[in-house]
Formats: sequence, structure tokens, C-alpha cells
Amino acid sequence: MSRYIFVIDADRCIGCKGCQVACKAENGIGPGENRNRVFDVGPTGVFPDLEMYFLPVMCQQCEEPACVAACPTKACRRNEADAVVMIDAETCIACRACERACPYGALTLNRERRVMDKCTICEQLRREGEKPACVKNCPGNALYCGDIDDPDSAVSQLLAQTRPEHIHKLRDTGSHPGNYYILRNAAWQDLLPRELAERRGGRRQV
Amino acid sequence: MMYGGVDPSIADSNALELYFDSEIKALVLWGTDPSCSCPASGGGAVNDQRAKGVKTVVIDPPFTQDAAKADIWLPIRPGTDVALMMAWIRYIIEHRLYDAEFVLKWTNLPYLVDTETKLMPRAAVSSDPAVPDTFYVWDKRTDSMQPLAYPWDDALEGTFTVDGRVYKTGFTMLKEQVADFTPERAAEICWLDADRIVKAIRLFAENTPGGLAIGVATDQTPNSVQAAMGACTIDLLLGNVERPGALMQRFRTSGTFDMPNYPVPICADLLPDEQLRKRLGGNEHKGLGIWFAGHPSSILEAVLTGKPYPLRVWIDRSGNKLGAVADSKRWQKAMERLDLIVHMYMYPTSFSAYADILLPTEEWLETNMMVETCNTLCARQQVTHLWETVDETVIWSMLAKACADRGDEECRRAFDPEFMGKNLPYWSSEKEVFIHFLKRIDFDWEKLCWLTPYEYMPRRDWQTYYVYQWKDEKTGLAQGFNTPSKKLEIYLESMITLGRTGKPFSKCELPPASKDYEPLPYYLEPHESPVRDDEVSREFPLVLTSGRVPYYHHSTLRNIPFLREMYPAPEVWVNPRTAEGYGIETGDWVWVRSKRGEIRGIAVLTEGIGPGIVWMERFWNPETLNTKTHGWKEMNVNILTKADAPFNDVVGTYTLRAFQVQLEKADGAPEGVWLNPEDFKPWLPKPSGRTKEVFVK
Ligand code: SF4
Ligand code: SF4
Ligand code: SF4
Repeated sequence: MSRYIFVIDADRCIGCKGCQVACKAENGIGPGENRNRVFDVGPTGVFPDLEMYFLPVMCQQCEEPACVAACPTKACRRNEADAVVMIDAETCIACRACERACPYGALTLNRERRVMDKCTICEQLRREGEKPACVKNCPGNALYCGDIDDPDSAVSQLLAQTRPEHIHKLRDTGSHPGNYYILRNAAWQDLLPRELAERRGGRRQV
Repeated sequence: MMYGGVDPSIADSNALELYFDSEIKALVLWGTDPSCSCPASGGGAVNDQRAKGVKTVVIDPPFTQDAAKADIWLPIRPGTDVALMMAWIRYIIEHRLYDAEFVLKWTNLPYLVDTETKLMPRAAVSSDPAVPDTFYVWDKRTDSMQPLAYPWDDALEGTFTVDGRVYKTGFTMLKEQVADFTPERAAEICWLDADRIVKAIRLFAENTPGGLAIGVATDQTPNSVQAAMGACTIDLLLGNVERPGALMQRFRTSGTFDMPNYPVPICADLLPDEQLRKRLGGNEHKGLGIWFAGHPSSILEAVLTGKPYPLRVWIDRSGNKLGAVADSKRWQKAMERLDLIVHMYMYPTSFSAYADILLPTEEWLETNMMVETCNTLCARQQVTHLWETVDETVIWSMLAKACADRGDEECRRAFDPEFMGKNLPYWSSEKEVFIHFLKRIDFDWEKLCWLTPYEYMPRRDWQTYYVYQWKDEKTGLAQGFNTPSKKLEIYLESMITLGRTGKPFSKCELPPASKDYEPLPYYLEPHESPVRDDEVSREFPLVLTSGRVPYYHHSTLRNIPFLREMYPAPEVWVNPRTAEGYGIETGDWVWVRSKRGEIRGIAVLTEGIGPGIVWMERFWNPETLNTKTHGWKEMNVNILTKADAPFNDVVGTYTLRAFQVQLEKADGAPEGVWLNPEDFKPWLPKPSGRTKEVFVK
């Protein structure tokens, strides 16, 4: 079995939100809906001694996904083959229980299709041997995805080359998020996406 | 003018060393934020350099993404850049951080300047452009003024009196020019910390090779040209030119274009002299001649007053002029006085609302274009074509043709190959344009499409370093730089000639400007300024600057749903300490007012901008195009900007940044503007079948 996840080099993210737009164009996601979002973390400090980094957040591919546990129809489940959490459009009744349960705000209601929608690590592209839309279009080269169980994969290699104190995860509220974040040049702020959205100290957080 | 090569603009993709694993050690991003202005090209390239360990200094009032990633951020007071540059120059000279040998041999700073005329006396004048004039230097051995033939020189510094006249070297002139600008003085002017200034200078000066890139920020105040000169001076003193890792380079080109990526030639040299002489503002601001441009504020005055002559017709090929020109409300008044306005663009904008005729052009995906980038030539190819649009290149020649057919002699000659000489005669199709250029490299459009991206030269051959050291066949000497003296002209004597005659940009002699242009950078305090204790600063106590966000390019893209939903209205950044006095909270709608008008935006309280400063993104609202505001009166920063004097002496720049405003909490959003993501749904693309071709090329 393999386990597909993202490793995100936050030092390399320039906060352009190109990944958000690329994801929408690739996956037919409408205005007001998002499979992924980029947050400004900061600025922290007092002018002019500031720090800020950018945090792309998509589904964290949790080990014990809260969304799966909450889904009454089992539409939300984890793939056998690659451990990616998927939503089956046929059985999803758009009750939004998964959305309420996910600590990372990673689910979005696709209003056009009336189903819940989430990052599939661009399943349709991976099947063709291509990289996900956000990865391909990231000018910062901040996004990496692959099989973390394969020690030779790009994501495993990247983590192996990174000092442990620079490797982070979003706060674990029990679902054990799978994605890793690398941050060397700023102090990691332990904030969930919804807390970041509330702070809104800098640019608009969509 | 100082260097004779292209400027190292990151957004224009001119800083070519960024795209490779080069020897760059440090970069200064001065009022430029590639993560916003060009994330997909320069933004990514700078990011790669940072990841490799290249050090960066960012000089920008707001805490931009690039500032967040910089080793040192200098949040400068808007409009004071030249003061800081002069402090950099002073510090670099005082602490001998400059590349002394390079400066001595390859800049014109050792040449003697007559302090009265500010000109450099010549021992011999050359009529051969390959051979520069012979200048004087101070010969240390004989302790006298001696002519020194190109290329080597002697004393760099000194003041000498010969026959009652006082001469100084260019270096001494520069040193004296910046003498007052200690780090402490710059800190006071620029609202910065002196130690941090010194740290930034040292970081850059001690980590060569590298480069200093400016953006449009410093181009948007009346001190514009001096900022460009200051920036260039810093790089040249440090020897950051034509060595591996420097941003200023003269790499090879394919030879396809006359001007890089300007397929349609300007051919201004074919205009009659009297027409060049009456170009509005062109005599006072002769630097405009480099782009053959007119001076916007002089044009505005001419329309409003009929002086020096009335204007009747405005043909515009650009997006939303009302969102782009300073003090837009005055332009609206001017537009009402014109007989005919034509707007040529891809889709309607506020400007179209005032036009009598619209000429719809093809969209990006509908056009073909030749693009040269690094050592490759590419064909950007049309992927679709819908509705009644025409490539704008062709529209221009159709206009010329129509005038020719109606008896206009100049337009008729534009189609005559003999008259056009080395220039491309006007064309009837886009293809003709391509053939004209591509045949120079034995290509045609189809072949280019087939081979795109075509590497016209291996990278190692293309990346030519130390071009100035190449031997000139004729003289047997190093060919030097593309300047009259073949040296880097840090003491820019040719500014004086430019102001007096229009040379080297004008083909005919122009009457002198009212005042000589200065050969060295000088600092100009903004006309409206928080440090002037006057009526304006009392009523409008905050200084405003604007800037980019990554989601938009200039005034385009406000009609793209996926972008607008992320940033539906311009943010107004205010420091919490400043906002306190106005009772403003994040998310509040606020009025931003200047002497010239008022607009609204959404307040964001952030430490990312200094106290007393307001940062705002410019904007217009396509959704209110068909209302009485025509979309340009709600949130358009250019309602606030300043189109009157003082102007930059050389190119006439007015004030788009660094002017005074006040804030007030507003009751709500302007009427009819769209803010919620769902609002933008009407703009989502709708699939269409093939549409009828109405114009066959
Ligand atoms: S596209 Fe890349 S650099 Fe831009 S915001 Fe997304 S992750 Fe960051
Ligand atoms: S991040 Fe949210 S949607 Fe993704 S697996 Fe975890 S709980 Fe489910
Ligand atoms: S991997 Fe695909 S679905 Fe997931 S965030 Fe990126 S673009 Fe969207």
C-alpha cells in the first residue's frame, strides 16, 4: 500500500495564490468554493520587526479522518490503494457533516453538482502520470506530493534532507494530519486555518 | 544612458542572471516586489535564488511577500528613495566599499569637470563613434591636468585650479553631491533606523556580484530619473556590471528585432522635424524622447486650455486610462472637450464609456506573437478566435491605410518601402510583420511555431560576460560601453546636452529646457509631504503609496471571477497606532481623501505598514461600468493622485505615489459594487461554438 500526501515548503511559498486558481480551473470549482487556500501567517511582531510566512492548506490526508467518521452515508472514505480521502459523488447527500467535522476547513460544497468536494490530489491527473494542477502551476516550487511510504519518493527525500526542527504539521486535534510543512526561516505559528482567517492581520484571507 | 545596456528590471524579465544557477550573492529589491508584479516569472526566479542562499534587501513601505522573505527590510517613507540612495553612495565611498580599480578604469569618474559649466573639458573631440573624445584627468606624477586617451586613467579624486578655473574629478563631484547624506540624515528623512540602513548597505556591498533592481515605485514620483541614476550608480560603483552574477548584462540576442520584443518599429526618425518639435512637453522634458512619448500633464493642459494648440481626437490603445492617469477627474473634463474618442481594447472599460468608437482587439489567447526570451525564440500562438475582433497590430495599419486612401500624404508614404528605408513599411496582415523580422534569421512563422521554443544559440555562447573588454576591430582597443565616452558615465554629463539639445534621443535639435538637467542625482522632498508643516499636511496628515497584489496586472483582470473573489475591493493598510485616532477597525469601509477627491476601500489594520503611512491597491469596478460612475469613481486611487507640477525635470513624471491623504470611517461600500464570490458568476466563461470570422487576414 502507498500513502499519498503533500509536503509543503512554506519558505518557498510566495503567497501568490496561483494554486487556488489552478485548482479551480482544473477541477471545476465555482466562486466561493475552495479545495485549497493560502493564508498569510502574520505579520507577527511590531513594526518594523516583523515575520510572516504563507501557508497553503488543502486536505491534510489524515490518518484517522474526522470527515470519514462523520459521514453518515460512507460517501467519504479513504482509498485502499493510495490512502487518499475521497468523496463518492453518487452517495454524498451534501449534508455537510464532514465539513463541520474537519478541523482544517478542507471541504467545500460544490453548489453546481450539489456534492461535497475536496482535494483528491488531482486524481484524474495522477492517473495520467501528471502532477496535480497546484503543483504544476506553483511559481515558488513550494508544493510536493507523493508516496510517503516509499523512501525513494520526492516527498520522503525532501523530508529526509530537512532538519527535524524545521518539519511541522498543522495542530493535531485527533485526526492525525498526514501532510508535512517545512519552515526554516520563520517561527512556526500553531494556528488552524479558521483561526488564521479570523486574525486577518494582513491581506484578505480567502 | 549611464550604461548603454538594458536596465535590470525583474518584471520586464531583463535581469537574466536570475534564471540560472549563477554567481549572484546578493540582491536589492528597491520598490519592486516580483512576488506581486510577476509571480510566475521573476517572482519564482527570485525565490529560487533565495532558496540557494542569495541574500536580499527589500526597500518598500509595505511588508510585501518579498519583504517577509528578505534578510533586511527597510520600510522607507514613500517618495524619499533618492535620499536613501545618496546615503548608500556616500557610505560606499566613505568606507571604500566600491570596486576601486573598476571605477578608475571603467567609469568616467576620474575625468575632470569644470565646476562652473559642469561639463567635462575635452582635449580632443572625435568624429568617429568607435573612438571617444579625449578627456582630462589629474596626473599625479606631474601634478597637472593632462589629457588621457581612452581607456586608462589616473587620479580618482581631487579639486584642482588651473588658470583660475576650478576642476574636480567626476568622483569628487559625486562625493560632494552626497556629502550631507549620512546614514543618520537618511534615517531622519526616510523614517528608518540608521543602523539598519548600514547593515543593508554592507550586506549588499560585501556580497558582490549581485544587483539592485528597481520597479515602477520610484518611477512614479517627480524624483524618478534621479532614482534610476542613484540605483545605477550604486551597482556601478560596486562593479556589478557584466561580470557573472551581475544583473546588468549585454547578452547576445537572436538579431530578430530592432528593439527587444517590440515587433512594430517606432520609426520616429521619419517624422518631420516640426512635428517632433511640437510634441507636448517634449522640449521641457526631453528624456521622453527615448520612448517618443508626450508629457501627460502637458497634453491635459492643451486639451483643457487649447494651449499651445488645441487637440481634437484621442485614439487610445490601452486598458482603462481613467484608472491609470493621475487626477482622473480632470481627464474626464478634458475628454468632454474632444471631438472624437476612439478606444481600441479587448473588452470595454471605463474609458470606453466616453468613446465614440470602439475597436475590439483580439484577447491574449487569440493573438500570435514572437517572443524572445533568454536564448530562445518562441511563437505565442493563437488558440482560438471568437467574435468580431482583430489583432491590434493590423488595426493600426488599417487606420493608416484608410487615411492614405483619403489622400493623407504621410500615411501613403508609410506603405512605401523606399520611403520607410530600414523600417518596416506598413503591412496589410500580421504575417507581413512576422516575415519582415523572421527572415533576418532565415525563419518564417510556421517554422517558428513548429520549433518553439527554439534555442537560437547555446546558453554558454549567449551569456556573454565582460562585453566591454572585447577588442574593437577598428581601434584595437577594448570596445567599452555603449556611451559616448565608452566608460560608465556615473557623472552623466550627457544629461546637460540632452536638456539643451535633445541629443541623443532627438534626431533634430530642440530648444533648450528652462533649466539644465543635473548630471548627478539629487533629492527632491515630495511636494505634498508629511514633513512640510503646511495647510496640505495639516488637513491631509497621512502619506499614501500604492502597489501591487499578485492577483492583478496593472488595471486588468478585475473582471475575472476567480481573482476578484480573492480580492474584491482594494485594501487600505493602516498601522493600528494610526488607525486608533480614526476609530477604524479591520474590515471597515473607509473614505480615503486627498486634495483632489475621495474614494473608498476596506481598512486592514496591520503592522505591515508604518505609522503615518497608508498603502492602497489601485482599482476599478467593471460591474458598475453601465452606471453613472462608469466604474472608475468608487475605488480608483488615481482620483487622488496629482497631475500638476512639480514634474521630474528630465521626463516630466507627476505624482502617482507619495502624496497626502486623510481617512474617515465610511458607512458602507459604494453602491452597486460586487463583493461576494457569487456576485462574480455572471463573468464566468460561457462555452460558445465557432463564431463567424468577419475579417479575413
Ligand atoms: S502557487 Fe505556490 S507560491 Fe503561490 S501561493 Fe500557492 S503554494 Fe504558494
Ligand atoms: S483534512 Fe479534513 S477533509 Fe482532509 S482527511 Fe482530514 S478531516 Fe478529512
Ligand atoms: S492536488 Fe489538485 S485537488 Fe488538491 S489542491 Fe491541488 S489542484 Fe486542488
